[in-house]
Amino acid sequence: MVNPVLLIAVPLGLAFALPLFGLISKRIVKYIPVVAFIFNFALALRLIPDVLKQAIVVEIGGFPPPFGINLVAGPVGVLFSALIALAGLLVAVYALAYITEGPKEKYHMLYLLLLAGATGVVLTGDIFNLFVFFEILCISSYALVAYIGDRAGIESAIKYLIQGAVGSSFLLIGIGLLYGLFGTLNMADLAQQIESASSISVFVPMVLIITGLGVEAAIFPLNAWLPDAHSSAPSSISAILSGIAIEVGLYAVVRVLFTIFGATNMFMFFAFLGVLTLLIGEMCAFAQNNIKRMLAYSSIGQMGLIVFAMAIATSYALTGGLFQLVSHTLGKGLLFLTAGYMIYRSGSMEISAFEGMGKRMPLTSLAFTIGAFSLVGLPPFVGFPSKFLIVRAALAKEEILFTVLIGLVLLGTVIEGAYFFRVVQVLYFKKANGNSERKDAPVAGLIPMVVFVAFILVMGIYPQLVIEVLNSAASELLHRMEYIRSVLG
Amino acid sequence: MGISNAFDFLQNHVYYIGSFGLIFIGLFIMLVKHNLIKVIIGLSILETGVNLFLVSVGYISKGTAPIFSKSAMEAAPMVDPVPQALVLTAIVIGVAVLALALSLAIRLYHHYGVLDLRRIKELRW
Amino acid sequence: MSLELLLIVAFGGALLSYLFGKICPQIRDPFAVISSVALAVMMAFLYGKTMESPFYFGFLGLPLILRTNMLAWFFAMAISILGALSVIFSWDYVKDRERTDFYYLMLLLANASMLGIVFAGDFVSFFVFWEIMSWSTFLLISYNRGRALGAGMKYIIMSIVGSVSMLIGMLSLYAIYGTLHIATLSKLVPSASSGYLLFLFILFGIAFAIKNALMPLHTWLPDAYAESPTSFNGVLSGMLTRMGMYGFLLIIYVIVGAARALNLGPGIFKFNYILAWLGAITIVVSTFIALLQNDAKQLLGWSAIGQGGYMILGIAFGTSLGLAGGIFHTLNHAVYIVLLFMSVGAVQYRTGGQRDLDSLGGLIKRMPVSFIGALLGISGLIGIPLTNGFVSKWLIYKTLILEGHPFLAFAALIGTWGCILYCYKFVHHIFLGQLPEKYKMVARAPFSMQLPMIILSLVILLFGILPGIPLKVINTIGTSFGFQSLNVTTWGIASETGTLNTINIFAAVVAACVIVWLIFKAGPKAVPVAQEDTYAAGAAIPKDRYHYTVDFYNPLYRMISPYFKDFIGGFCIKLAGWTQNVCHGIRQMYTGYIGHYVMYIVLFLALLIFVQLKWSLW
Repeated sequence: MVNPVLLIAVPLGLAFALPLFGLISKRIVKYIPVVAFIFNFALALRLIPDVLKQAIVVEIGGFPPPFGINLVAGPVGVLFSALIALAGLLVAVYALAYITEGPKEKYHMLYLLLLAGATGVVLTGDIFNLFVFFEILCISSYALVAYIGDRAGIESAIKYLIQGAVGSSFLLIGIGLLYGLFGTLNMADLAQQIESASSISVFVPMVLIITGLGVEAAIFPLNAWLPDAHSSAPSSISAILSGIAIEVGLYAVVRVLFTIFGATNMFMFFAFLGVLTLLIGEMCAFAQNNIKRMLAYSSIGQMGLIVFAMAIATSYALTGGLFQLVSHTLGKGLLFLTAGYMIYRSGSMEISAFEGMGKRMPLTSLAFTIGAFSLVGLPPFVGFPSKFLIVRAALAKEEILFTVLIGLVLLGTVIEGAYFFRVVQVLYFKKANGNSERKDAPVAGLIPMVVFVAFILVMGIYPQLVIEVLNSAASELLHRMEYIRSVLG
Repeated sequence: MGISNAFDFLQNHVYYIGSFGLIFIGLFIMLVKHNLIKVIIGLSILETGVNLFLVSVGYISKGTAPIFSKSAMEAAPMVDPVPQALVLTAIVIGVAVLALALSLAIRLYHHYGVLDLRRIKELRW
Repeated sequence: MSLELLLIVAFGGALLSYLFGKICPQIRDPFAVISSVALAVMMAFLYGKTMESPFYFGFLGLPLILRTNMLAWFFAMAISILGALSVIFSWDYVKDRERTDFYYLMLLLANASMLGIVFAGDFVSFFVFWEIMSWSTFLLISYNRGRALGAGMKYIIMSIVGSVSMLIGMLSLYAIYGTLHIATLSKLVPSASSGYLLFLFILFGIAFAIKNALMPLHTWLPDAYAESPTSFNGVLSGMLTRMGMYGFLLIIYVIVGAARALNLGPGIFKFNYILAWLGAITIVVSTFIALLQNDAKQLLGWSAIGQGGYMILGIAFGTSLGLAGGIFHTLNHAVYIVLLFMSVGAVQYRTGGQRDLDSLGGLIKRMPVSFIGALLGISGLIGIPLTNGFVSKWLIYKTLILEGHPFLAFAALIGTWGCILYCYKFVHHIFLGQLPEKYKMVARAPFSMQLPMIILSLVILLFGILPGIPLKVINTIGTSFGFQSLNVTTWGIASETGTLNTINIFAAVVAACVIVWLIFKAGPKAVPVAQEDTYAAGAAIPKDRYHYTVDFYNPLYRMISPYFKDFIGGFCIKLAGWTQNVCHGIRQMYTGYIGHYVMYIVLFLALLIFVQLKWSLW
């Protein structure tokens, strides 16, 4: 059996080896992330059948849990690592042609580090280890946001950094408190011992951890960094930040809430918070004229939707929430990638600069349209089955409150539809003013777009493809006792 | 009686009080100061407070180093080694963040010519 | 013949037309025509069949089902024939436009998805096809650029609102009954509590009322009709809008069933009464607003809203007579509104896109076929005997009177009265009156436009003289809903309170025509005079300086124009403005100052602690 630790070790090792490769040849450097994530994606796919039967627990250094650090490759972890590897691979291919300026070697190194950190967060079974991987993710993303080095990039990076650092400090205090209370850092062991602790003493570390992780997960009102950072980063990094980084943050929140604390009573609060995040994100996106800020605010909205779905906390809802996560990664990744080249060609981030893009860059525009339709949740794209599951789960609660909340969620969808369709109209139904030369994105840019579109279509038409993994991932989150048993034996 | 109780409390919890004091000072600086360097200093104080807190979690009064140098040593009077390992990691991370923040601050100064955060507000809404 | 094959032909035709357009554009138009005509022919063979089969299992464990029965076939037949005629009409109409491949793809896709909607045997496939229809229509409405963009946005936003409300309704069915299969639901749902049924009706009602443009949810329609390509108007106005009617029939009579659906609700606020009154308001208001329009397509759009009200009135009371009237009116209205739009389209095609009524006139001699089409179209719209509209309106009036709703009947009559006025205005301003100088040399419409118009004109007469042909099908639909069968003959309907016999009328009209012809034959010969002579009594008038169609019905305009405005449309525009302002207000929260952002984080922490201390959630 293959060892899941390779999922983290390979990108991490290659990240540090990358400057050495750079000594041999400057040209091969950019292919290293591609290779790393091909490997990771294949490995994650290979692991899926195994982990569906039984979660793989890797003891690092040979200490059995709860001692030492362990990795838990359950369905959730492998699902996320496959998603990270997929998005990482496609964006790495995109970056082959897109990243042409600046210290390229460092870009690729940080890129590998970012995704190694993300993979670490989703696989680890130790809460301090989670913090460390989280910091790897965050620090490399601060640096990557500043990669272009212009005014906006630096400004947003420093703002992101300060908020992220405050968040991490809270997270660390929370972890310290937990350790002080229980004397363990193993998540399964913590989960077991928390049952017997008094609620008020556990509450303080919980809110600290939630707040700390919530900054990265873009929960309202902790998300002020997001629109700046996502809009100022290079588009390939925006795609990863939106498609992976905040998802991983959300994963951490969900893992802490569900597995460690089993905080079922807080879910109602989080349902409200999710709807609030959704509405605020969508409304801010509606008011934007800058395409990348619009997409960034739309990510906030989508995060809100996922938080809402998770907070319903039934197996349907979790399946739906995880599915929405997958569909958001695919959709938003695609949108940022396409927007990247449209910005490159038009020289502006204003939506009005994209007039006539349907003629100038037909394939890119088509890909953008499909991504937008998918995010709005139109069939036959992947956004539809995921929204379908969430709405169904909310209605299956058969409570007036949830019906009202789902109404508000769908109001958010209406707003979302309004701004996405506006962009689609600009792409296709406005005459290009001035330059109307037909020149699409380069091949290395088109390949990931096409693959994203293919995934969006295939999963939209045949959701059964992933539903089994999603189901068992949902049940892993929902049944914390089984998680504890599978780790501690 | 009351005074000695209070004194005991202070003595037992002085590290916690100190660490949370540092944390609050750091947060306060970040909330009210407009100069980016000062905000970064606040961040650094905040992190120091957190680190101090982590160490004090594992601290035992008059404890020894957690090294089993003889075969029959008691584990009880030893200081918990785990928080120390955590703190080392956290310090490293803190240094990295701080270095990055300062280098970004330099670049920001090149672009704007000021470090007053009230005037570095091009990205908003 | 399986339904899968039909849908494959429909969707495949759409995609292949696009591909052919890219590979060799010459065969695209013939291919589109052939595939849509073939579809109509195949549909005809499906007559009278009832079948049901799942076609796809891959969607979240829900089987997607296609089924056909008389109701589905009736709508599908109308969709495919009108679709084929629209494709034929498009041949010349869009020839010189850019992006014709895209046009054909979306036109055929909209058609195919409508077929999917009517054949859907479960709500998932219903919803999927419904959404495909929505976005393909959106793309086509925006096709003309300029003002069309606003119309497209209005359409798609209202459409999403409708879909969202339908999604909630449908998934609440799923949550409760664990199935979305329509046939199974129609057994289970009737036993639900009244409150739940009302909840369902409201949710589905919003979706279908938006599509059917029932007031107050009609605001998308006038602009969408006016701004979309006229060749697409045939599809849009004929059947696409009436998918709302199909939906109403489905939810009221198939799923819930007449026994529970009627008289649901407290006191006089019964669901179907409210529906009927909304229909009546729709008729009156939109008729008068139509009267005020000076844009041919806006006028037809408002008229279509009003006619939708008649259909709702027909089906609201759940009698076999009314139901037949409502369904028959759906078909009739589709036939004549498509004809009218085609006639407008032909005029537009020859006059360079002119659709302003005040600028046209006197085209009768230049475009006779279009004139005949328009004349028969408005005859049907008004409901002149021996045209199809007469029969369905007769059925609806009859129902209203028999059910004891004189006010509703009166509203419907007012609607018809106003309808006569705007129809006359429509046909007069385009074809009669003064021919402007610049249109002196206008040519006839090309054959590809004349052919569908001739076919539809004949259909209007056919259904007017022999209404039994469609009524027999409609009667089968009625009996499948559990109503008693009507006594339908080929030339009318016999009922205990009065019999409609179109053959008698036909004979009378023929006799009258013969008599009039004889009288004219006996009298002195008519002398043709120049138009200016009759108008100015021989005084010299500079040509093209006066246009006497402007301010038609002026006193009436002054009387009604303060009251009959699209207040709801205005309100929607305002609402959009407010939303924009609120959104701008909310995003001010992200001030750009880090101190605030850190404060948000601290406040969030404080909020969590406050929530815990206050409510002890955990």
